[in-house]
Amino acid sequence: MLGLDLVLRLAERRTGGVLHAIGKRGYFARDIVRGLRDPETWVPEMIRQMKNIGVDSVPIAIIVAAFLGGVTAFQTRYQLFPGVQLSVVGLIARQSIVLELGPLLTALVLTGRVGARMTAEIGTMRVTEQIDALETLSFDPIAYLALPRFIAGVIMLPVLTILANATAIVSAWLILILATDVRTADFLAGLRLAFSTFQVVYSLIKATLFGAAIAFVCSYEGYVTEAGAEGVGRSTALAVVIASISILVLDALVAAVLAPFIQA
Amino acid sequence: MTTKRRDELLVGMLLLVAVVLAVGGTIWIARGGLARGYPLYARFPWGAGLKQGQPVLLAGVQVGFVDQVDLIPDGTITVKLQVQQTFKVPAGTTATVEANGIFGDQLIALTPVKGSTGTIPAGDTIPTGVGSPSVAALLGKGDSIAVNVRTLSNEARMQFVDSGGVRDVRRTIADLTKLVAQLSAVTAEQSRQLTLTQQSVRKTLSSVDSAKVDSTIANLRATSASFEQLSRELRETNSRVQGVIEKVSNGPGTAGRLMNDPAVYARVDSLLMRLDELAVDIKKNPRKYINLKIF
Repeated sequence: MLGLDLVLRLAERRTGGVLHAIGKRGYFARDIVRGLRDPETWVPEMIRQMKNIGVDSVPIAIIVAAFLGGVTAFQTRYQLFPGVQLSVVGLIARQSIVLELGPLLTALVLTGRVGARMTAEIGTMRVTEQIDALETLSFDPIAYLALPRFIAGVIMLPVLTILANATAIVSAWLILILATDVRTADFLAGLRLAFSTFQVVYSLIKATLFGAAIAFVCSYEGYVTEAGAEGVGRSTALAVVIASISILVLDALVAAVLAPFIQA
Repeated sequence: MTTKRRDELLVGMLLLVAVVLAVGGTIWIARGGLARGYPLYARFPWGAGLKQGQPVLLAGVQVGFVDQVDLIPDGTITVKLQVQQTFKVPAGTTATVEANGIFGDQLIALTPVKGSTGTIPAGDTIPTGVGSPSVAALLGKGDSIAVNVRTLSNEARMQFVDSGGVRDVRRTIADLTKLVAQLSAVTAEQSRQLTLTQQSVRKTLSSVDSAKVDSTIANLRATSASFEQLSRELRETNSRVQGVIEKVSNGPGTAGRLMNDPAVYARVDSLLMRLDELAVDIKKNPRKYINLKIF
């Protein structure tokens, strides 16, 4: 027992508190899962969070996707050297949007819009001792605050990603036929070339993971906020940074694991 | 409507739109439209680069797309084609895998046969035609060409190097070089001579006095006029002589009768004979006719 304690102290000192931080987040994740046992607490709040995260984010997601698709298609067209079939533009636009840019940019945008709000809300409740009040009233604060946001994020990020992908593809098509020499037939031929259903699933897997990351990181950082209003601001900034980095790391991991299955 | 109810409706609508978009869009892209068309099959011994979504062309017109590519146990590729309902594939059509562009992309080319009747029914397998040559086939052709080139080069080496052909060619070239040098010398000499001639001609031309030339031309003109006068006078004289001859020939005068009348000729002839006799007699007997007395 003494030996284990010594090993843990040594590990904490060597890792600079990383293991401690991971452990605390592990406990938070466990509490989120435990919260599932009490649906009366989280289901009503989940609908509200789905509206906040999903419905209210539709305009910003569509605007970002529209520009994303148009710029991707435009850049792709003018990077092609003479002799390359124009249908390649449709292929590259589809692959870029569906596999990478659609889920990634939607998640990054939502990190700023939804994640920051999430942290600020929960953090403010923490510093104003509302969370303590919930605990006093025998409410599970994680089941009430973190779990609905987590489930809403996991559901609504894929939904927004589907909208973003569709918008970006339509935008790419419009830009190509209006501003370049690519015709609808070329674009559609490329759009359908080497397409497999798994590419859509891949995009949704990414979006689900990104939604989970945003909700988890931002809820946790809000939940552990300290030191008043200044602490809320610090937690919010930290949550956005950690969530953004988590999204990029997850993006790389998913690509490394699932990319071999993408090809039709 | 309560806020909660409104939120639920909005969330439900968004989820529904997303599901419809995801499912409909995926089907639309994967199947080439919401109408699926009908399947046809083709088997190929080699299908490098064949993949779902690649175009199927009938006589160069896109009529469908590749739906599925499977490797079957006998080592051939079975390709499922989705052809749009509006297009029918004529019986006897053959399918080949063709390169689409220069970047390794492929397409299925359906080549119809002229004069065939009927169509290939849905679900049938299209016979495989002769496709465009693969890279390996082209490399094989290249190898055979290289072998031929090597044989030719060996033959050329034997003919030109081993048998002394190159030496002869070099000698011929040397001779040609000499000949060219000689020709050049001759040409140079001729050129020099021509230059001298040209110079002397120029000198001669420059020495000609234009006044003398003018006077000579004037003299020539005068001489020409004299010749013209002389010619005219000769013509007149000729006409007069012609008139005289005419008169002599046809006229009744003495000359005419002398020339045309045979009797006159006979008398003149007898006259001449008598004159001859007289001359002979005078020679014989001069004193008979000439009696010259002096003092």
